[in-house]
Amino acid sequence: MPAKPLIAIVEDDDSLRPALIGLMRSLGYDGAGFVSAEDFLAADALGTADCLVTDLQLPGISGLDLAARLGGERERPLPVILVTARTEKSIDERGEAAGLFCLLRKPFEADDLISCIRRALDS
Amino acid sequence: MAPQTDILDLIHESVVTRDAGGRVLSWNAVSEELYGWPRLDALGRNLHDLLKSRHDAPVEELEARLLAEGRWEGEIVRTTASGQERVLDVRWSAERDVDGALVRIIETARDITRRKAAEDALRISEYRYRNMFQAMAVAFWEVDFTGVGAMLIPLRDQGVTDLGAYLHAHRDFVRATMEQAIVADVNAKALELFGATDAAGMIGQNTARFWPRDSEPAYIDALVATMTREPHLVTETQLLRLDGSPIEVLFTVSLSQENRRRGVLLIGVVDISARKQAEGALQRLQAEFAHAARVSMLGELTASIAHEVNQPLAAITTSGEASLRWLANDEPDLDEVRGLAGRMVADARRAASIIARVRAMAERREPERIALSLNMLVEDVRTFLAHELRAQDVGIELNLQPDLAMVSGDRTQLQQVIVNLAVNAVQAMAEAGVPDRTLRFTTGALPDGRLTLAVEDNGPGLPPEPGRLFDSFFTTKASGMGMGLPICRTIVEAHGGEIAGETIAGGARFVVTLPATS
Repeated sequence: MPAKPLIAIVEDDDSLRPALIGLMRSLGYDGAGFVSAEDFLAADALGTADCLVTDLQLPGISGLDLAARLGGERERPLPVILVTARTEKSIDERGEAAGLFCLLRKPFEADDLISCIRRALDS
Repeated sequence: MAPQTDILDLIHESVVTRDAGGRVLSWNAVSEELYGWPRLDALGRNLHDLLKSRHDAPVEELEARLLAEGRWEGEIVRTTASGQERVLDVRWSAERDVDGALVRIIETARDITRRKAAEDALRISEYRYRNMFQAMAVAFWEVDFTGVGAMLIPLRDQGVTDLGAYLHAHRDFVRATMEQAIVADVNAKALELFGATDAAGMIGQNTARFWPRDSEPAYIDALVATMTREPHLVTETQLLRLDGSPIEVLFTVSLSQENRRRGVLLIGVVDISARKQAEGALQRLQAEFAHAARVSMLGELTASIAHEVNQPLAAITTSGEASLRWLANDEPDLDEVRGLAGRMVADARRAASIIARVRAMAERREPERIALSLNMLVEDVRTFLAHELRAQDVGIELNLQPDLAMVSGDRTQLQQVIVNLAVNAVQAMAEAGVPDRTLRFTTGALPDGRLTLAVEDNGPGLPPEPGRLFDSFFTTKASGMGMGLPICRTIVEAHGGEIAGETIAGGARFVVTLPATS
């Protein structure tokens, strides 16, 4: 890709969101942050993002609901990586149903997130 | 004899003359009134028989003394014609002729019945008082106040209108008045309480040694009450025994008219050390209890707390990783690294403050009393519970009245109450599986100036036994100790307020009412 990949980060925690954007930049990507799923949907990023990293628990609709909604939104589906602290097994099933590219549990290893993003960009 | 009889009728006392045999020779007008016998009925009658004269000693003995000494005076009890008893102060003189033979006995008498009755009543009352004084289980002192009065009265002439204020400003003067107050009498209980072996050890002493400096305000109240003629004063204070050791007491001053006339104050002292100790122990127990409940409640929130701390920690890790990647580049972007490092420091501080807040809630402290804003307390709690509310999908509404008066209290304790009410509401809504869960906080003021905080939810409402809500160990939750609401009530009531819960249309409402700071 000629331009730097744009990774959308949907995370309402004010510490973690900027940190994730910083991590994206250290990888040579561009990062765009959103405090809620609604913010992301309302912004332009929907068409231009190359990958979406989202937390499960958000102020409005959840990250899972967002992922499910994005299923039929574009020609080339936007890979969604879900990050969550919740440990319930049901999340794995729902994640699969929503077509998640990756599901990571917090606390996550940065390397795991990075390899998920790299694979998502290559797909 | 006739002219003399006229004069005798003008005399205001009873004048009766009798012969050596005791028969009435003359009977003046006052005697008629006093004894109820007309002159004609009395003349010639034996006086003592007619009037049934009675004395402690037999009347014959009195007559004998009269003959021997020529006079007698004393009190005699007689019965009038209508049967009433009279007490009389009588004087007898024996009139003799030149040969020394008894001519007649002259008697003057005054009716002292009423005066005697009053004296007797007083004596009985005094007797009863003395008995009670000695027998009471309350320590009693009689304090001679005349010296103190002499010091206080001139103050009025010097223009002092507010005695209390003057005394508070002149403590040396107050001490001097204590030295002028002299112990006149003490009862057995007072000896015991103040550690004296006998009354002589206390009688005659001035009262200064019994009053510690910190108790002077109570003493000043007593002085002011005395001078402003308030009949009774009751106050708690601390006094000193003879050996200087302190005792917590209830101190009462009785300022009856009669005592005031005698210049004497009657002081009652009740030892309340035992009560004070029990109160202290109870308060400590309540604090320990509240602490235990606080820690237990914190246990319920551990997951939320851990999550709150984990967020900044995860951010720090992420920023650290990003920094390492930058530094691994051939040309590291140091501005980026600098930014990341700064963010790591900020996140570390945020984690530390969350931990400090949690520590403060779990710490055992003496409750503080500062001016607090109810609205700010609600905001604090919202921040503290932000994650829990999101996790449980609970919407929050704040109807906080602006410019609300402040409440005086302990920040941590009041936060604890609000947190508890909120957590209860959240759990109730979660267990009932309510969709669209909403928690509403409303603050306001009542017409009487008290402040209110209402916590409402749209859960299932109160359980069927609302009267037991605030009882210890009563809970309808599967887990939980049922200590939250009783502790809330203890805290709220310790702040001078009330707490109540009710079911409302579509949920439950708890209202905390607190006095505003003056």
